[in-house]
Amino acid sequence: MIPVSRPARYAIAGCLAVFTLLWTAPVLWMGMLSLRASDEFYKSPYGLPVPAHWDKFRIAWVEFGYQTYFRNSLIVSITAVLLLIAVGSMAAYFFARYKFPFKEPLYMMIFAAILLPPQVPILALFQMLVRYHLYNTLTGLILVYAASGLPVTLFLLRAFFAQIPLEIEEAARIEGATDWRMYWQVMFPIARPAVVAVVIINLVEFWNEFLYAVVLINQQASRTLPLGIMFFMGDREQDVGMIATGLVITILPVFVLYAMFSERITQSLVAGALGSS
Amino acid sequence: MLYLVFTVYPLLRTFYNSLFVLPTVDVEQFVGLENFRLIFTSDSVIWPAVRHTLSWSVCSAFLEIPIAFLLALALYARVPGERVFRLAWFAPMLLSYVVVGPIWQWIYNYDWGPIDVALRFVGLGGVARPWLGNLSTALPALIVVTTWMFVGFNMVVFLAALHSLPGDVIEAAYIDGAGWWRTVGSIMVPLVWPTAAALTVLCVIGKMKQFALVYVMTQGGPLWSTETVATYVIKRAFQWKTVDLGYPSALATLWFLATLAATLLLGLLFQRRAQPESLT
Repeated sequence: MIPVSRPARYAIAGCLAVFTLLWTAPVLWMGMLSLRASDEFYKSPYGLPVPAHWDKFRIAWVEFGYQTYFRNSLIVSITAVLLLIAVGSMAAYFFARYKFPFKEPLYMMIFAAILLPPQVPILALFQMLVRYHLYNTLTGLILVYAASGLPVTLFLLRAFFAQIPLEIEEAARIEGATDWRMYWQVMFPIARPAVVAVVIINLVEFWNEFLYAVVLINQQASRTLPLGIMFFMGDREQDVGMIATGLVITILPVFVLYAMFSERITQSLVAGALGSS
Repeated sequence: MLYLVFTVYPLLRTFYNSLFVLPTVDVEQFVGLENFRLIFTSDSVIWPAVRHTLSWSVCSAFLEIPIAFLLALALYARVPGERVFRLAWFAPMLLSYVVVGPIWQWIYNYDWGPIDVALRFVGLGGVARPWLGNLSTALPALIVVTTWMFVGFNMVVFLAALHSLPGDVIEAAYIDGAGWWRTVGSIMVPLVWPTAAALTVLCVIGKMKQFALVYVMTQGGPLWSTETVATYVIKRAFQWKTVDLGYPSALATLWFLATLAATLLLGLLFQRRAQPESLT
């Protein structure tokens, strides 16, 4: 630590505060716009939201289909994460503890998929989903998401399982636990911190995901929030106020979570991203 | 083993994801390497797209990482309110590209966007322009947006790296009269070099995949000026009138190889540069 004098520290903090204000201004501006009608906006783009039109959220929710989009996003992200944790955590445990033929090549192959630009598999996936009638369905999207989150999940959980002392399993086995019970009642609870991180990483990812959604979903009833925004903008590009309301609806759940568990989320996302490098 | 069932299934899926790309080259018609030949001989879009993607990767790495390092350094000095700053800078990364896109479209708006309004206010009205509608500024405008999104992330990683440095070494250097800038330049920078390397690789890979932001903000336009390989593949597959998954698959395959090569190359490059320093 280099000693920095007190006044210098406050000077730095002052500069950083100005910087931060500029940095967050786009989001704050959007927040204000979400409470203003578009005609007010065109009169003064930077006015304060007075009076605040909270009603716009109800209108977006009911009349512009955000209710559907929100529900779809919720269903898709949560189901995909649950599926991913069920499958991925067991697979990670399997990779960490069991020996089986072609273990390392298989692992390397899954792991290499992190590098893979999603544009590559998506062409084949599109074809597959159309063939199996999963195109345009939430089920299809859920399966694709769960698969796309697998490499990071496997990587982080395998590392975590590998460092749990073997004695715990030996003790459980002496007590007569089956593999299945030992996993869900002993190992999985121990791995909870890592599982939470994986859940966060993938939940944020799936909630915001756009590429797979835009290619694999093509009807109003199955749209997720990012698609909903995209199409709303296509229809009413000039309605800046209402678009902002939709954007706020989309980011609100993420920001509420971020406000509650900010450190956790930051750490998890960093771990997830670095794990893949 | 019960797990086997659950392991094999996702494995197969990933198999599909990673390997079964080529079979889509014309389900009905086998054309051999014809698609690949066409890419190299008669595709006028792909080369600009490659160029845009590369300049995007390189420019963002040069923007994001130094800015992030400076910010991390500022926070490392135990500034009051450190936590608030850190969390605020990180936040844009949590936003969907589809949310970021419209906000920045408004920021770049010619009539009422804050940039052009501010420029006119200070009397530089001549510089004001529709940033996204201009051939020469559209791509830089997009690069600025990704920088905004990811500086916070890079900063958090740098900050963690700085905190894990041996504090006594740095202090000793400072006490021995190395001075602020020399301490930073000749001790801290080399020590976080591996971190910077990892972040660069991450940044380049990320930008090579970049699709959603371009798609939402400019659709690759105006006049292909922001087209990247990632958007071109998707547009070619799903938006052009020609229903053919073969040609874009060939593009995607080549692109995958290019990404792989870039990653390996960067890895090698940084390893070689890191070695002499670790010896001293």
